[in-house]
Amino acid sequence: MTANAPAAPVVSLTGFSAEYRTRLGVTRALDGIDLDVARGELLAIVGESGSGKSTVSQAIGRMLPRVCHVTSGSVHVLGRDIASLAPDAIRALRRESLGFIPQDPIASLNPTMRIRRQLELALRPLGRPTDLESLTELLASVKILEPDRVLRLYPHEVSGGMAQRIAIALTMAREPEILIADEPTASLDAQVRDEILTLIVDLVQRSGASLIWISHDLGAVRRWCDRIVVMHQGRIVEEGPAAQVLDEPRADYTRTLVAAIPGRQDPTTKEAE
Amino acid sequence: MTTYSLPLSKRKRAVKTRPPRDALFIAAACALGLIVLVAVAAAVIPFAGDPARIVGPRLSPPSAAYPFGTDALGRSVLARLLEGTRTTLVLSTLAVVCTAVISVILGLVAGYAGGWAREVIMRLSDVLYSFPSIVLAILIAAVVGPGQAAVLSSIVLVTVPLMTRMVSAAAMSVAKRDFVTTAKISGVSAPVILFRHLLPNVSGTIAVQGTYALSVGILVEGGLSFLGYGVQPPRSSLGLLIQEGGSYMLQAPWLLFAPAAVLVVAILSINLIGDTMRDRLDPRETRSLV
Repeated sequence: MTANAPAAPVVSLTGFSAEYRTRLGVTRALDGIDLDVARGELLAIVGESGSGKSTVSQAIGRMLPRVCHVTSGSVHVLGRDIASLAPDAIRALRRESLGFIPQDPIASLNPTMRIRRQLELALRPLGRPTDLESLTELLASVKILEPDRVLRLYPHEVSGGMAQRIAIALTMAREPEILIADEPTASLDAQVRDEILTLIVDLVQRSGASLIWISHDLGAVRRWCDRIVVMHQGRIVEEGPAAQVLDEPRADYTRTLVAAIPGRQDPTTKEAE
Repeated sequence: MTTYSLPLSKRKRAVKTRPPRDALFIAAACALGLIVLVAVAAAVIPFAGDPARIVGPRLSPPSAAYPFGTDALGRSVLARLLEGTRTTLVLSTLAVVCTAVISVILGLVAGYAGGWAREVIMRLSDVLYSFPSIVLAILIAAVVGPGQAAVLSSIVLVTVPLMTRMVSAAAMSVAKRDFVTTAKISGVSAPVILFRHLLPNVSGTIAVQGTYALSVGILVEGGLSFLGYGVQPPRSSLGLLIQEGGSYMLQAPWLLFAPAAVLVVAILSINLIGDTMRDRLDPRETRSLV
């Protein structure tokens, strides 16, 4: 799929570096990241906690926390340098082109509003219909059973899997060109995890969007993604086609990650045997 | 695994007998409700008579004809007390509503925007907060001039700093939650995030702080009227009645006792209601079964 993708990337980070400046000191978060994401590509960013994966996703939406300072480089989204965009323009870019599926689905929904109200608030500014029938259809499209009943519920009354389906429906209803999923299944059990991943990939492929999927689940990444970027200490240590990176890792860190997959051995150890 | 140090039967009994706090809350709500009801009803049906009319001899003690006695001019203390309670409650409530509107806007902006906006709002609050409340109230009353406007503006300026701080802290915590991030990345505008996402989630804090502000408001009104900067005669307020009663404390103690008792019960009730609300809305409050 990567080979067939058009040349112009939808997301492009060039020499991008950022650091967190807190009272405790300065921590380098990203160090000279060069990354292109092609249209329609399914890209996974993997690495241990603190390697800078989420900071990359935040940088793409210009959503870096206040304590994170960009020290060099640029981020282009759909050909536009996001650092130079005015607040209205960046908001329009986020609304029209970026989708974000968070880690904790329940926390991604406002606890004080019924699901229907949240869908209405999200869809109305886009000029999308918000009548009961349209909202029911929207929930049915993410395979929610009894959607009319779910519309009347508060977030705390739905399961984690259902909340994630609602979050996906909310995001995909905007038809984003770039979907960022930050460990979207981390808080779900194994069976639901598989259903949710299948749903995300299916929706992304049908809409032709690009997926930037931040994950620790290398098995699922290998199954679903075209390309993997491996991050360690704010740097990209390896990238390439998913199967190639995971089956024949070149970087020591990638080998360590691969060896940590349950039921797999360090490829170098295997070779030595 | 959760373990309990008491058998189930005893734990059930503990649950049933747990809430002396609930009993206090109910008593406080009833007391405050009664005060408000009687004060408001007296405005609609003047069962206690006209507070401005001289109805009997001067400084007459409580009797069947004058249930709370008469004051130094021969006016019914009961009628004046009901008018005074109403004035105090109306002024304090109005001031707290103004405080809530100002504090919610400032607190939400400070909590959500952060940066220099937060710094400016918080430092201004700190400046106001650094004055003892009654000193600040007297200062404002001296500038504005004695009267209801002085009471209103004093209560607002005394109560705004604390409520702004609390709303700001609550908003800052909510602003970091995922649903706000999701709304931001969805391109939702700042006013919608502030008033549709943040405001409902800090409403508990606003309600609790509102009760504290109300009790502070009643105290400030009482203090200012007592000092002669607040409500002016012939109108009455609890503070003014206490000040008048203080002059005749030895000859006619009922003049002091009735408004002071209403003031104490009202403030105590509001604080108890506020405490209960805070405990109920505070997720850190543990409700052990044993």
